[in-house]
Amino acid sequence: MSRREGSLDPQADSSISPLPHLEAKIRQTHSLARLLTKYAEQLLQEYVQHQGDPFGLPGFSPPRLPVAGLSAPAPGHAGLPAPERLRLDAAALSALQPLLDVVRRHQAELNPRAPRLLRRLEDAARQARALGAAVEAVLAALGAETRGPPAEPAAAAAAAAVAAATAATDAGVFPAKVLGLRVCGLYREWVSRTEGDLGQLVPGGPA
Amino acid sequence: MPAGRPGPAAQSARRPPPLLPLLLLCVLGAPRAGSGAHTAVISPQDPTLLIGSSLQATCSVHGDPPGATAEGLYWTLNGRRLAPELSRVLNASTLALALANLNGSRQQSGDNLVCHARDGSILAGSCLYVGLPPEKPFNISCWSKNMKDLTCRWTPGAHGETFLHTNYSLKYKLRWYGQDNTCEEYHTVGPHSCHIPKDLALFTPYEIWVEATNRLGSARSDVLTLDILDVVTTDPPPDVHVSRVGGLEDQLSVRWVSPPALKDFLFQAKYQIRYRVEDSVDWKVVDDVSNQTSCRLAGLKPGTVYFVQVRCNPFGIYGSKKAGIWSEWSHPTAASTPRSERPGPGGGACEPRGGEPSSGPVRRELKQFLGWLKKHAYCSNLSFRLYDQWRAWMQKTHKTRNQDEGILPSGRRGTTRGPAR
Repeated sequence: MSRREGSLDPQADSSISPLPHLEAKIRQTHSLARLLTKYAEQLLQEYVQHQGDPFGLPGFSPPRLPVAGLSAPAPGHAGLPAPERLRLDAAALSALQPLLDVVRRHQAELNPRAPRLLRRLEDAARQARALGAAVEAVLAALGAETRGPPAEPAAAAAAAAVAAATAATDAGVFPAKVLGLRVCGLYREWVSRTEGDLGQLVPGGPA
Repeated sequence: MPAGRPGPAAQSARRPPPLLPLLLLCVLGAPRAGSGAHTAVISPQDPTLLIGSSLQATCSVHGDPPGATAEGLYWTLNGRRLAPELSRVLNASTLALALANLNGSRQQSGDNLVCHARDGSILAGSCLYVGLPPEKPFNISCWSKNMKDLTCRWTPGAHGETFLHTNYSLKYKLRWYGQDNTCEEYHTVGPHSCHIPKDLALFTPYEIWVEATNRLGSARSDVLTLDILDVVTTDPPPDVHVSRVGGLEDQLSVRWVSPPALKDFLFQAKYQIRYRVEDSVDWKVVDDVSNQTSCRLAGLKPGTVYFVQVRCNPFGIYGSKKAGIWSEWSHPTAASTPRSERPGPGGGACEPRGGEPSSGPVRRELKQFLGWLKKHAYCSNLSFRLYDQWRAWMQKTHKTRNQDEGILPSGRRGTTRGPAR
């Protein structure tokens, strides 16, 4: 498998050129990721606004609680082959959807009069799933494997992550606010990472 | 459970968390402070307090290696560092806080009370809910659109400022029987409103009330009793047309159609017309139109654009004796009076149907008569315009006399006539 970034063909076989529909799919998914990156930023701003200070203050640095089943993009992510990066992007986006649901449910109790925040969280959960599915479609078109684990263990892992998140929020309102901030932050990081990874595959895009 | 736990509004359904996810959380690491491996617990966790009350809180540090110290810890509330004199070290690992005369919470998600390590890292947090219990909601008013639904509005007690999220629930039931029902469609016509879309009974009274609940308590409004038929409103009259009356420079004719949803029930309906000059904000109201669907406005300014609106009150529907509720005004319709050098007389009124000469045979004959007079009786000043001015003057004189006597020209019972607006 070629480790050269920007290569659409993991075999780096110059006789096989990308199909037009694959290019179109990559461009389309990249555009979606770019749009969702903007929305993720707006979600984060809306979120901190409704939690009150110190959330949103410059220098606010709560403990970076680990979220079961999901971590931030690793420092070495950019050095991985394109299909591996996209696989990690898709897995993270898939894991984000139920976590965003948990955050939305909790914010519905904490901030019931914040319809825009609740709508953004609901949209983010749907958009994470949609972007994840689109990335998996790109991977399939590239001829690369999409998911590593089979469907059932993946679903069980998602349920476990949700249960862990719910348990964390049960520990108190402040930890729930912090967890929500963490999840929204991870959502922003992963859609932004996905945009970057797809951007490198767009013909004519940055190498 | 720590003291001061928030009430039912804040608590979600709790279930014992599964062991596996907790293990996952532990394997991945419990929440860690920025420096070292210390964490803390604040007590009480998420208390609910009355405005003006006091709070005693503690921050207990634990971690690895053991022996974490309370020295250097400090508190912030909503991001602002609290004065050191409000804190004291209880023991080696516990810092206490005393707050007095608390103000209402700054945000409904709770004030953020945070315990920090010496280096500023966050060790723990607790959210304070400081506010007031709700006061009794009041001033409930309801209306039914075409007898099909019911919308109610109310005023929250104490102008709604409790500093806590307060839930309002509109309840209703049939007066003599039936169970309590809860309205489900809120904020339809403002923040304190609810809409009941269907399954409403007529000819039987309903009892309606509002319950307000927050973390500190609840309150219930007085009960409003009403029959749907007594609070009916309808749509504005459709198809409002405004047109000139021949060459008459001081008159416009207004015609409309009964609101179709109640057209079979509107034989006692009342209508109002309002009109204004194009560049004015002052409306004049004609409110003795009764159940006609046409009216002629007289005494207008020549060569002027007028905006006209009509609304309907479904008075007397199904025999209701109550006043009924005016519909919204129809969309403005505009028309202009013909230009003239002579200004028309002031004031405006709707000419009653009985005395209104149509553009039919009577008017034609009158025109012929006036023409003959001018020719044979040398009455050069006679004109149709003069005739209409005479009629408008007669109308005003007749109305004034009937007002003094307490009856309207049509002989119907009087209605409340407010000032022209």
